[in-house]
Amino acid sequence: MKRSVPFEIFRYAAILAAMAVTLVPILWMVSMAFKPIGEWSATGADLTWWPKQPTLSNFRFVFGESDNDLIVALDHTALKPILSSLLSAVFGTAIAMSAGTAAAYGLSRFGSGQNLPLALIQLRLFPPMAVMIPVMIMWAFLNLNDTWLGLALIYGIVTLPFAFWLMKTFFDDMPREIEEAALVEGCSRLRVFTRITLPMMRAPLASAALFVFILNWSDYLIALLLTTREWVTIPVYMASLSSSMTGQLYGAKAALGLIAAVPPVIIGIAIQRHLVRGLTFGALKQ
Amino acid sequence: MSAVTATISEDKMGARTKPATPDEGARLGFRLTLPAQILVLFISAFPLLMQLYISVTDWSPLSGIGWWNAWEMWNSFANYTDLAADARFWSALQRTAIVMLVCVPAEFLLGLALATLFADDFPGKRIFYSILLMPMMVVPAVAGYMFFMLFQSGGPVNDILSRIVGTPVTIAWLSDPNLALIAVMIADIWQWTPLMFLILLAGLVGVPEDQMKAATLLGANAWQRFITIVLPKMKTIIIIALAIRVIENFKIFDTLYIMTGGGPGVATETISVYIYKVTTQDLIWGYVAAIALAILIVLSIVAVYAMKRMTKAREVPA
Repeated sequence: MKRSVPFEIFRYAAILAAMAVTLVPILWMVSMAFKPIGEWSATGADLTWWPKQPTLSNFRFVFGESDNDLIVALDHTALKPILSSLLSAVFGTAIAMSAGTAAAYGLSRFGSGQNLPLALIQLRLFPPMAVMIPVMIMWAFLNLNDTWLGLALIYGIVTLPFAFWLMKTFFDDMPREIEEAALVEGCSRLRVFTRITLPMMRAPLASAALFVFILNWSDYLIALLLTTREWVTIPVYMASLSSSMTGQLYGAKAALGLIAAVPPVIIGIAIQRHLVRGLTFGALKQ
Repeated sequence: MSAVTATISEDKMGARTKPATPDEGARLGFRLTLPAQILVLFISAFPLLMQLYISVTDWSPLSGIGWWNAWEMWNSFANYTDLAADARFWSALQRTAIVMLVCVPAEFLLGLALATLFADDFPGKRIFYSILLMPMMVVPAVAGYMFFMLFQSGGPVNDILSRIVGTPVTIAWLSDPNLALIAVMIADIWQWTPLMFLILLAGLVGVPEDQMKAATLLGANAWQRFITIVLPKMKTIIIIALAIRVIENFKIFDTLYIMTGGGPGVATETISVYIYKVTTQDLIWGYVAAIALAILIVLSIVAVYAMKRMTKAREVPA
């Protein structure tokens, strides 16, 4: 539809305003991450929007190398939290995707497990905080507390609904003719699924897995409750990053925050086409 | 149960799958859903029973006895009656409601406004779109830290205000009980308006072009077209978008907890934060179980209603 010139002016003005609001918090963190300790200032008088002397020392500190005597090195580096976040998110994604994809195919093609979709949405409705007491007790019993495996297992369950719904809408959309042709050729149903359907679904599978990975990577609450020291994840470690001499380690936290924020933002932009379906449990097809 | 599913799948598959026996498909289908069923059962049935059991006791992990022996600390329904009289619980619930009543409508209106601007093509659309979606992909805990920095008394927010007003502004956003909640809500709106924008835009592009053209020919102006064509077409999408944000907003924790820790005092203590504090600081898990179960029951009632709407929405072609 043709729009008038005043409308176009209004449109760009409004979008630029929205962009400014969107970007200021992000840019502030980026700028903090490259500021030397003297420019962290929280006192206001000498607030600097851009680092006057950009430095990588915050990133070096995060990885255990401190070139600034003012920073009392903490006895931990961020290497293990990064590893913990990666392991738990990747394996959690693997659990959610394998159980979710299989169930989605079973339901989409054979109508098995009719009660599953609603049970899965229900799982998502409840505040995680309200179901964590039994989980904490069970994990203690299974010796899964403070391990990346324990996190991976609970992440797999918590994101299962998203994996299931996303894959189900993909399977529902996939034409059955090719599968049927293979059946006529004498292929067993399981072979059809593993040799024909899954390879054909590579791209949707990748999108769904990346989507689930973002959700797992984003967790803070569950890791806060289930890890204490050994396998804390990036957000938990970030929150604890302060020392008695320097107080809040603004720059180091910003550097770590940047490291945590970059992967999901890149992945999210790459798979934005599938975000609507994923986040609305397939209730909305795009 | 397998007998039931077998009948359903036979009906569904019907003549389409002559070559393989219908039984083979039904059996495979059942097996494929099994891992997911087990995981769901693992995280729902047993934990719920455990929670129910602990909620009628005074059990705490510090009590020195295993949770299965919690009956030694039986207190019947004291936890539930305590809950009814727990002022901190009710004010946390009230605060959760306030946050929801401010944030969800704000996110909806801003998201709808943005979606309207993006409904047709214009130069730069794709890049603007990608940038505007960024906040929802930032890890919520990191977003919490961003806003923690922004709202420091010497931080950028006050700096911007100072430049506008002309005199130095030093508002202690996060340590003022009234302002802290506002700061938290601003962070939530920043992070989740993009989700509303994304969902509503998906709905908006689905509105048939020819109907809009016809209405324009009949002399309807933009506002009339919006009210008579766009809104009715988008009804289900709007319900879904609002439902998702209401549910997620009720759980608000990460961003808020990093920004304020629920403080100052209890000024930003929402339900999740309250439960978290009782769980990790007071360690009275019997009481926590009672709170959690009470919330689960109320939410289940809401959920059944919401899901009926959702399933209905799925049946109507959008």
